[in-house]
Amino acid sequence: MSEFLNENPDILEENQLPTRKEDSTKDLLLGGFSNEATLERRSLLLKIDHSLKSQVLQDIEVLDKLLSIRIPPELTSDEDSLPAESEDESVAGGGKEEEEPDLIDAQEIYDLIAHISDPEHPLSLGQLSVVNLEDIDVHDSGNQNEMAEVVIKITPTITHCSLATLIGLGIRVRLERSLPPRFRITILLKKGTHDSENQVNKQLNDKERVAAACENEQLLGVVSKMLVTCK
Amino acid sequence: MASINLIKSLKLYKEKIWSFDFSQGILATGSTDRKIKLVSVKYDDFTLIDVLDETAHKKAIRSVAWRPHTSLLAAGSFDSTVSIWAKEESADRTFEMDLLAIIEGHENEVKGVAWSNDGYYLATCSRDKSVWIWETDESGEEYECISVLQEHSQDVKHVIWHPSEALLASSSYDDTVRIWKDYDDDWECVAVLNGHEGTVWSSDFDKTEGVFRLCSGSDDSTVRVWKYMGDDEDDQQEWVCEAILPDVHKRQVYNVAWGFNGLIASVGADGVLAVYEEVDGEWKVFAKRALCHGVYEINVVKWLELNGKTILATGGDDGIVNFWSLEKAA
Repeated sequence: MSEFLNENPDILEENQLPTRKEDSTKDLLLGGFSNEATLERRSLLLKIDHSLKSQVLQDIEVLDKLLSIRIPPELTSDEDSLPAESEDESVAGGGKEEEEPDLIDAQEIYDLIAHISDPEHPLSLGQLSVVNLEDIDVHDSGNQNEMAEVVIKITPTITHCSLATLIGLGIRVRLERSLPPRFRITILLKKGTHDSENQVNKQLNDKERVAAACENEQLLGVVSKMLVTCK
Repeated sequence: MASINLIKSLKLYKEKIWSFDFSQGILATGSTDRKIKLVSVKYDDFTLIDVLDETAHKKAIRSVAWRPHTSLLAAGSFDSTVSIWAKEESADRTFEMDLLAIIEGHENEVKGVAWSNDGYYLATCSRDKSVWIWETDESGEEYECISVLQEHSQDVKHVIWHPSEALLASSSYDDTVRIWKDYDDDWECVAVLNGHEGTVWSSDFDKTEGVFRLCSGSDDSTVRVWKYMGDDEDDQQEWVCEAILPDVHKRQVYNVAWGFNGLIASVGADGVLAVYEEVDGEWKVFAKRALCHGVYEINVVKWLELNGKTILATGGDDGIVNFWSLEKAA
C-alpha cells in the first residue's frame, strides 16, 4: 500500500465528550484557527514554552476563540447543524511531553474521519451525520505497549445504501493509516439503520477481506478520493 | 500453569506475515509484500537462505504449505493463483528454489492450501466459496483438478487434511466447518459442523492414531473441539461439539494447531498465545502469554520439533516470527 496522505495528527485538549450541540459550538470556536497569523502566534508560543499547559498559551487560545465567534461560518442546511467548512485546530510537531501517555479520545477519532468525503455527494461524512461524535467509543490507556480499542457506529444516509461497505472501508483505511498499531478498530452500522446490517458489519471487520480489498486498485482509487478532503 | 518463553525472534518483513510452514528444518513464510522467505532452522542457527521470486505473485501470499517429507512448496495468493516451488539441484551447496508450476482456476483470492499426508492431493480454497482438490504425481509438476466443491455459502478461509485418512476439513466465513470424503474419486461433503457464531478461521485434526477429532477457532473468540461419533443411515458422518475450550481469547481466533503432544495452541487478534491440555476428558489452560507480538495481531501458530524438543512458532502483523518453548512449572 502506498502512502496517500500526510499523517499530521491533531492535538486536542482532553475533556469530557461534548454533545453534538457543544460540538457545533466548538467547531465555530475553532474556525478562527484557520487564520494564518493565529497559527503563527501559537507556533511561536509553543517554541517559547514547550507545553500546551502553558497559562499564556491557554489565555491566547481563549482570546482567539472569542474573537472568531464574530464571523460564524454558514451552515449548509437548517437540519445539518455542522458548518460547511469547519476548520480544525492543527499544529505541526509534537506539543506533548515524551513521558506523558499518548492518550487518544473520541474527539480525536472524530476529527480523523469526519472530513472523509461521501463517495456520492460533495459533502463530508460529518456533514451528513454518517459519523457522529457520540457514536465513537475509545478504550485507551495511553500506554503504547498496551492494546487499545475504538468502536465506531456509522449511520448510512438511507437504509439500503449500497455504499455502506465502501464508507466503512474508507473509515478503516483512514484510521489504520493514522492510528498507532496498538488500536483494534471495530466499525459497525448503527442498529436499525440498514437492511443488511449483519452482513455489512461482518465484512467491515474481517481483516483478511479488508486486506484483499486494499490490493484492488480500482477500489483503492475510490477510497483515496474519499480521503483527499481529510486535513 | 506452564510458562511460555521466547527462544528467538526473527524480523522477516515490514508487513503482515499471513502464514508459514515448517518441514525438513526449513521454515517457509508468506507475507503481504508478495515475498516467500525461507529460513533454515537447525540447532540454534536461524538463517535466511532464500527469497523466492516475488514476480510469481501479483498480490499478497496468504498461505504456504510444504508437501510432507519433501522440498516441494505450495503457496496460495490473493491474485487467485497457487504457485509450486521445487528445490533446484545445484552443483554448489547453496539452497535455491525454482518455480515449477502456476495453478489457476479460482475466481477470487486463494485463502488456504493444504497437502494430503501422502502428498498426492493438494486442496485449495478461496473467497469464491469453493474448495478445489488437485491430484499430482511424484514429480509435482502437473496438477489435475479432480473436484470442485461448492457447498459453502461464503468465503472459505482454510483447508486441512486428516493426518492419516483421506479426509478434508474446510473452515468458512459462513460460520461452519465442512468435512469432505472421497467416494470413488468423487469428493462429497459428509458433515457440516454448526455451532460457531462467527467466521471459522481455521481448524486442525487430532493427531492421535485412530481418533477423529477436530479443533476450530472463530470470530466468536472461542476454540471448539469436535468429535466424530459415527455414520448415520445416509452415510453422513455425525460430529458433535465435544467441548468449548476455556475462555482465554477476547477477540477473533485466527489459527489453531493440534500438536502431536496432544496440546492445542491458539492465537488471534488479541495478541494472546494460548495452550490447552486435556486432563481426564476435560480441557484446561496449560499455558498462556499475552502480547506475544507486542501490540500486533497474531495470524498463525504451529508446532514444530527443534533440537528434539517440541516448540511453538507464531507469526504476526508485525512481520515477525517468534519461537517459543513451553516449560512446565516445578
